[in-house]
Amino acid sequence: MSKKELGLALLLVVIGGITAALNPLFLSGVNLLNMANLIGLFGIFAIGQGLIIITGGIDLSVGSMFALLGVVLVDLLVNFELFWPLAVLATIGIGLALGLLHGLLVTRLKLQPFVVTLCGLLIYRGIARYYTQDSTSGFGYAGDIDTVSWLASGRSFGIPNPFIIMVVVAIIMAVVLHRTVFGRYLYAVGRNEEAARHSGINTDAVITGAYLLGGALAGLAGVLLVFYTSSVSPSSFGSFYELYAIAAAVLGGCSLRGGEGSILGIVLGTVLLQILQNLVNILGIPSSLNFAVMGGVILLGVIADQQLGQRKQRIQLSRAQGHAPAE
Amino acid sequence: MAPLLELEGIGKTYPGVRALDGVSLHLDRGEILGLIGENGAGKSTLMKVLGGVVPPSEGTLRIDGQVQESWDVPAATRAGIAFVHQELSLFDNLDVAGNVLFGREPLRGGLLRLVDRRATREKVAPILQRLGADFTPDTPVAELSIAQRQLVEIARALAAEARIIILDEPTSSLTLSETARLLTVVKELRADGVGLIYITHRLGEIVDCADRVVCLRDGKMVGALRREDIAHGTMIRLMIGRELRSLYAPPANPPGEGGLAVRGLVTTAFPGSAVDLHIRPGEILGLAGLVGAGRTSLARTLFGIDLPLAGEVRLDGKPLTLRGPRDAVAAGIYLAPEDRKKAGLVLDMPITENVTLASAPDYTRGGLMVHRLERSAAEKQRQGLRIKAPNCSVRAGTLSGGNQQKVVLGKWLSMAPRVILFDEPTRGIDVGAKGEIYALMRALSDRGVAILMISSDMEEVLGVSDRIVVMHEGRISGGLDRAGFSEQAVLRLAIGSRHEAEEAHA
Amino acid sequence: MQRRSLLAAPAAIALASWPRMGAAQEKRSLAFVVNVSADFWTICRRGIEKANREHPDFAMEMIVPGQASAAEQRRIIDELLARKVAGIAISPINPANSTETLNRVASQAILFTSDSDAPNSNRLVYIGTDNVAAGREAGKQMKKALPQGGKAMLFVGTMDADNARERVQGIREELQGSEINIIDIRTDESDIARAKRNVEDTLARYSDINLLTGLWAYNTPQIYQAVKGAGREGKVKIVGFDEDALTLRGIADGTIESTVVQQPFEFGYQSMVGMVKVLNGDKSFIPANKQIIIPTRIIDKSNVADFQKQMRDLLRGA
Repeated sequence: MSKKELGLALLLVVIGGITAALNPLFLSGVNLLNMANLIGLFGIFAIGQGLIIITGGIDLSVGSMFALLGVVLVDLLVNFELFWPLAVLATIGIGLALGLLHGLLVTRLKLQPFVVTLCGLLIYRGIARYYTQDSTSGFGYAGDIDTVSWLASGRSFGIPNPFIIMVVVAIIMAVVLHRTVFGRYLYAVGRNEEAARHSGINTDAVITGAYLLGGALAGLAGVLLVFYTSSVSPSSFGSFYELYAIAAAVLGGCSLRGGEGSILGIVLGTVLLQILQNLVNILGIPSSLNFAVMGGVILLGVIADQQLGQRKQRIQLSRAQGHAPAE
Repeated sequence: MAPLLELEGIGKTYPGVRALDGVSLHLDRGEILGLIGENGAGKSTLMKVLGGVVPPSEGTLRIDGQVQESWDVPAATRAGIAFVHQELSLFDNLDVAGNVLFGREPLRGGLLRLVDRRATREKVAPILQRLGADFTPDTPVAELSIAQRQLVEIARALAAEARIIILDEPTSSLTLSETARLLTVVKELRADGVGLIYITHRLGEIVDCADRVVCLRDGKMVGALRREDIAHGTMIRLMIGRELRSLYAPPANPPGEGGLAVRGLVTTAFPGSAVDLHIRPGEILGLAGLVGAGRTSLARTLFGIDLPLAGEVRLDGKPLTLRGPRDAVAAGIYLAPEDRKKAGLVLDMPITENVTLASAPDYTRGGLMVHRLERSAAEKQRQGLRIKAPNCSVRAGTLSGGNQQKVVLGKWLSMAPRVILFDEPTRGIDVGAKGEIYALMRALSDRGVAILMISSDMEEVLGVSDRIVVMHEGRISGGLDRAGFSEQAVLRLAIGSRHEAEEAHA
Repeated sequence: MQRRSLLAAPAAIALASWPRMGAAQEKRSLAFVVNVSADFWTICRRGIEKANREHPDFAMEMIVPGQASAAEQRRIIDELLARKVAGIAISPINPANSTETLNRVASQAILFTSDSDAPNSNRLVYIGTDNVAAGREAGKQMKKALPQGGKAMLFVGTMDADNARERVQGIREELQGSEINIIDIRTDESDIARAKRNVEDTLARYSDINLLTGLWAYNTPQIYQAVKGAGREGKVKIVGFDEDALTLRGIADGTIESTVVQQPFEFGYQSMVGMVKVLNGDKSFIPANKQIIIPTRIIDKSNVADFQKQMRDLLRGA
């Protein structure tokens, strides 16, 4: 655990502690399980977002992707009555394909990730709305989806399945990012793409790989989200969720310049965001202040991190000067 | 008459560090003062004090004999002090005139404060003429070479009617002939009565132009040389406090067979010229030429970054297809690039990860990286190359230029080098570390590695190479064996063909 | 001059012919601008389609804004006016502050409001639910669900929508003097996932909550799911609005007491037919108070099966 993650964990404990002190129900089993469920849902795609941010990119299209994947999934299950594993695989497959498309546009055509995924944000939302003629699709009249519904929104051993899935994803991704050659390349590409290329690394493939993973994880999260709400209104489903993911990644220590961040940090960032939303309800703070609370805490967190970083730098600098005066 | 500038007992203390300690010097009108010293000797701090950026902790500063009580940036500007920096600080998106008069643009249109473009041009043109510039005031700076940009910086100083111009490593990016022209300009300025402080690692330039030399070491003034005493040996002794052994170390064995053979290679930079080149194992081949002669482009093509338009590259007789650096690295052809910070290293990563970056798959077991293996590989390089760092988890960005270059080398040495292309291997590296890099290159070549060294530093080209080839406008204009080495011969080949053509026309 | 007019002529014809093409074919267009995408409006669309079948010489369309914002609606209105539509029926998102925009419509075309009224504007008529009355209906259902009284929580997208405010007002009026206590109103800014978490958090925080009421169409199904997820069916009563499929399913299985449904089909149908009548010079159907109130219905266990079937047919596109 790095210092950054330790600091974030500390912040979590402090905020959690204050909330629990004000209302002990915060720590009630029901509330914790509810939060775990949401942490699972949001954590999965925040991890995908984090991988992309580590390469120095960004994915703004996640929320719209959820709308598109959501309506497709509902359509496959309800109207085409497709066997559910196929429908789920198809949905994740589309996520993967969109990720691949983003990766290729970024690496082959040298487009900026912000622009590529901003266009994605607009296009996918539009397709989703056109596809459904703006009507909400849901499982209201659907037949036999109990198994998949349980998998995606039920509980095992009392723990919400999305949380379990997220933990599994986080462990796999942590190994990928922190222990494999691909993970090493992700950091190298994010920090200095040119030096990575000069070291014989196929940087295009590495970047495309990050978008591919991001797309697949968005697909997975999309499936779970659909079962969480059981209905998808194409014009609002998943709206702004990319920002939750970006916020979680940034809180968790990812730099938007790339090359920094860890899976643990991203997960902790997601946890913090969910706690913030939960405490608004638990403490009876007016719903309208929800975003303001979230924005305020993120800002404070980032400022604190920046200040600590600068202090560290100053200390290092004065040490370096002690080593070799001037210059 | 009082000296133009006088420093007396200047000291600067940072928390825990004595950056400057009782430095005294003076500068007269029409004088070039050479300021030498290794990296970290305190030259930059002294210049910051002079420019008013950093207030001195003690000491007095006099301009024209007047003690300056409050000394800050505006005061320095008023006193006519101007800097020509190591890192160029021009606006790429403006034209020459806009840069020269930046912040002092002639205005028209009253309150609208429109820039009077014509007046700007008219003001700048004579300055450029005086400097012998071959570009006009309305040339966009983006189109200028580094040498031309340096002239723009000087023009800026002149436009500010500077009486004291401080040149900080002005030639580090210039080629031989460009350096020569800059020195001419510097001497003309001296003739006009300007006082100049000339800071450089290239001692040859000091010998060429300085009237006096002062040397800083560890923040202290360690000595001064009069015009007649200025020589390489005396200066190096002052800087490092000891004798530096001769640059050239002869190879242990005669060059071997094979190596990298290039036939009819056409790079994208010069679609009209083909290059033939043979780098033999066990030899250091110096590649000289002007900046823009196609040397870096050749190195990039050999490393697979740029794709060749035609020609073939053979390694030990076997033809190579280079579609990217991956292919070159796989074949054992490595590049130590000119811009280490941008292309050679990942500055935010520790030494360990930089060393293993190009060979990461070699440090895996079952698909996972094994940090222990990485660390021991990096540690081996740290000790072998004598990288000055407490351990291998230090970020590469915190190291000095020489040690950064060693990390780049460590990356390649931890693999199986066959050919290493060095592009300006010692740029920005101080004298002591240069020697170490040269020794490493020689050791590599003695191990049978073929080495190509691109360099614009004449001492380096002549002092390190076993053989020199010179490029001019995309082609090899000639080669020299060690017996035929001379500054004149290299220069003639570097600019020769054009020179002869011009003479033929005249 | 000669040259310029030569160039300008084709452009002028091209520009002018756009709206007039419809006129030439006697196909004037009528638009129904809704506030947000929802099944509710899909049903309304069926009503519009029925009206169009009866009046094939008109081009009738329904327009759904990309975001539920007044700004987006205004953009749509401007475009419709530029296209010279003959009439617009609209569910204004922020009627109090859209008077000017609405009056601009009224000056250039026929303006009806539907679903949500803008009484200060020059609209010809409002066709829709009286949301205060609908709120009172819901209040009655709440009292029926909790005859002994208890704690209730309301859920809605945003409280800056008039229909949300009016429904709350109606509920409060009806509950006046009863033992039912509304603790709070939680909003979700139309984020469905947050709508669900609001319910989950409420259930976690108030172990003694007795009644949950969803004011917007998607709120009730999220309440239904969260209550089921927490295993508190029966202990926590639910009263809802509108006819989401899950809401109806919840009524069928007894988790939800009842829901107050509007008749969006009639909104669409009557608005369109009304605008056609006005275009043909008949304004006699407009009452003096300029409000045609379509009554709400209560769907509970007794009539849910029939209603479900009816809805399925409508949504499938009968």
